[in-house]
Amino acid sequence: MIINKKSEGTKLEILLEGRLDTTTSPMLETELKQSIDGLTELIFNFEKLEYISSAGLRILLAAQKIMNKQGSMVVKNVNEIIAEVFEVTGFSDILTIE
Amino acid sequence: MNSKLLSKFVLSLGVLGVALTVTISLFSYLSSKEYLEEMYAQRVVSGSKSVATMLDIEDVRAIIGPGGEDSEVYSHVESMLNTLKKDGDITYLSLVIPDEDSVTFYIDTCVPEIGDNPANKLTYGTDVLYTDAAYDENDLQKYYYVWNLYAENRGTDKPIVTDNSYGYNYTAVSPILDEQGEAIAEIQYILDMQAVRDHLSSFLYKMLGISCTIICVALLLYIMLMKWMVLTPIEKLSRFTTEIIKSGNFKKQEIVINTKDEIEDLGNSFNAMLKKLEDYIGNLTAVTAEKERIGTELNVATHIQSSMLPCIFPAFPDRNELDIYATMTPAKEVGGDFYDFFMVDERHIAIVMADVSGKGVPAALFMVIGKTLIKDHTQPGRDLGEVFTEVNHILCESNDNGMFITAFEGVLDLITGEFRYVNAGHEKPFIYRKSEGYEAYKVRPGFVLAGMENIRYKEQIIQLHIGDKVFLYTDGVTEAMNKEHQLYGMDRLHHILNQQCQTCSPEKILELVKADIDAFVGDNDQFDDITMLCLEYTRKMKE
Repeated sequence: MIINKKSEGTKLEILLEGRLDTTTSPMLETELKQSIDGLTELIFNFEKLEYISSAGLRILLAAQKIMNKQGSMVVKNVNEIIAEVFEVTGFSDILTIE
Repeated sequence: MNSKLLSKFVLSLGVLGVALTVTISLFSYLSSKEYLEEMYAQRVVSGSKSVATMLDIEDVRAIIGPGGEDSEVYSHVESMLNTLKKDGDITYLSLVIPDEDSVTFYIDTCVPEIGDNPANKLTYGTDVLYTDAAYDENDLQKYYYVWNLYAENRGTDKPIVTDNSYGYNYTAVSPILDEQGEAIAEIQYILDMQAVRDHLSSFLYKMLGISCTIICVALLLYIMLMKWMVLTPIEKLSRFTTEIIKSGNFKKQEIVINTKDEIEDLGNSFNAMLKKLEDYIGNLTAVTAEKERIGTELNVATHIQSSMLPCIFPAFPDRNELDIYATMTPAKEVGGDFYDFFMVDERHIAIVMADVSGKGVPAALFMVIGKTLIKDHTQPGRDLGEVFTEVNHILCESNDNGMFITAFEGVLDLITGEFRYVNAGHEKPFIYRKSEGYEAYKVRPGFVLAGMENIRYKEQIIQLHIGDKVFLYTDGVTEAMNKEHQLYGMDRLHHILNQQCQTCSPEKILELVKADIDAFVGDNDQFDDITMLCLEYTRKMKE
């Protein structure tokens, strides 16, 4: 998985490419831990993300919980497979999906 | 190894020695030869010139004139020339007059004291034909050459070299000129070069011999030195390492080399390396032991986890209203899938299918908590929405790691066929009805357990009939992956269920689905636990 970041002040956009699963999610977790402090806007761009597993969902949930306190979080360009995962797991209720 | 190295040394140095010997000897030989030949050539030419100039023209006229042999002058000149021959070590010294086809000898010196044979002395006036004197055609040309020079009143500037059975000679001729510059006779001056040649040859052999000896001795000394300074310590080092490798004992080993050079450094490096190796092996042993311990504990964890799942079938041998079967195929690492089923009371059976996010021991522990909580809270007559709401609340309290559980729970009333269920973000169940086959039943998704506090879950109800089945599974089924990175997916699951599992028992259904997944995955690794449960409502319970 490749993680690309675009930062503008307190706004951060994260572009993910590949598969967000048990093996790759620790990378994203470390990345988020470093940069989430003080953010007011966090955007996940899933345009090139093929797959998300429960380990990936856990990180989104953790990020959502933090962002609930300090700003907003949006997930963009979700493909069909991932949209289905969000739907089935009820994540579509708590995430802002655009 | 030692002898190989030594023979390499000897061979290379030997080649070098031979090349050096040959080069030095040849160079010395050739330069000496050139020098000597040059020197003798000069001597022959200048010698003949001096003699020719020295002779008085009148004396010569008298000698070559009629009755010259008996004149006083003749014996005087002859004795003078004999003295010259003796003192100058000249091989042949003669006063001659060449002609176009012969040469006439007037004085042919002969000194018996220095070994000349008087029998070979050419007497006064002996006329020697060129064709008789010449050894071969080439030789003959030289006589003509001399004659031609004489005809032009000239002598040789360079000696004529002849090398045949007559000997190896340098010949020079110088004309004796009269007042008009006309040649009236000439001096023939011949030096035997054989001695010079022999000297040169012996010089070459001596050179070869001496340099060969010197180089051999030097080589021998060098080899001894090499053996003492390099090979012996290296051999020692080699023996030392071989022994260590053979014995496998790295502890407290040390080699002492006192050569005060790179080999001593190498020996010291060996010692340092051994010390490090010893430490490293010590560490490795400790780490390996620790790893083994952890591995054993993990195995125990896996075992505990799987033994928590009900796995004795038939599960309810005394109940003929239902048939149930469930399996879990764990992936390599201890995972977080679990299923459960239990009788809530006499007429209600509960089934649970869940998946904890993540893998490993944390997931397994969280699964144990989740499973226990769900079972504890499922009470007769209690609303399942309430159960999950409560369980979620408790899980959230003790969830610092941000883990969550997707779970589905259903309770079937064996008398009425009423199936109440609640979903927390888990995969849609498949419901089988005789008339419609298997369909993924659209249930209200609900949010995952332990994900967020204060989530309200809602119970839903469907009506089941005799012969209907409920098929539950985790994402390990739908997300099983083959080598081409394709997922097994809902469509394949839907297909296999409807094609082959319409009339099968729950046990057979699970077997068929698993076989289909295995066929799809091929020899790709299994990434996630594969967990399935199937409940069939076989008979209405008597009230």
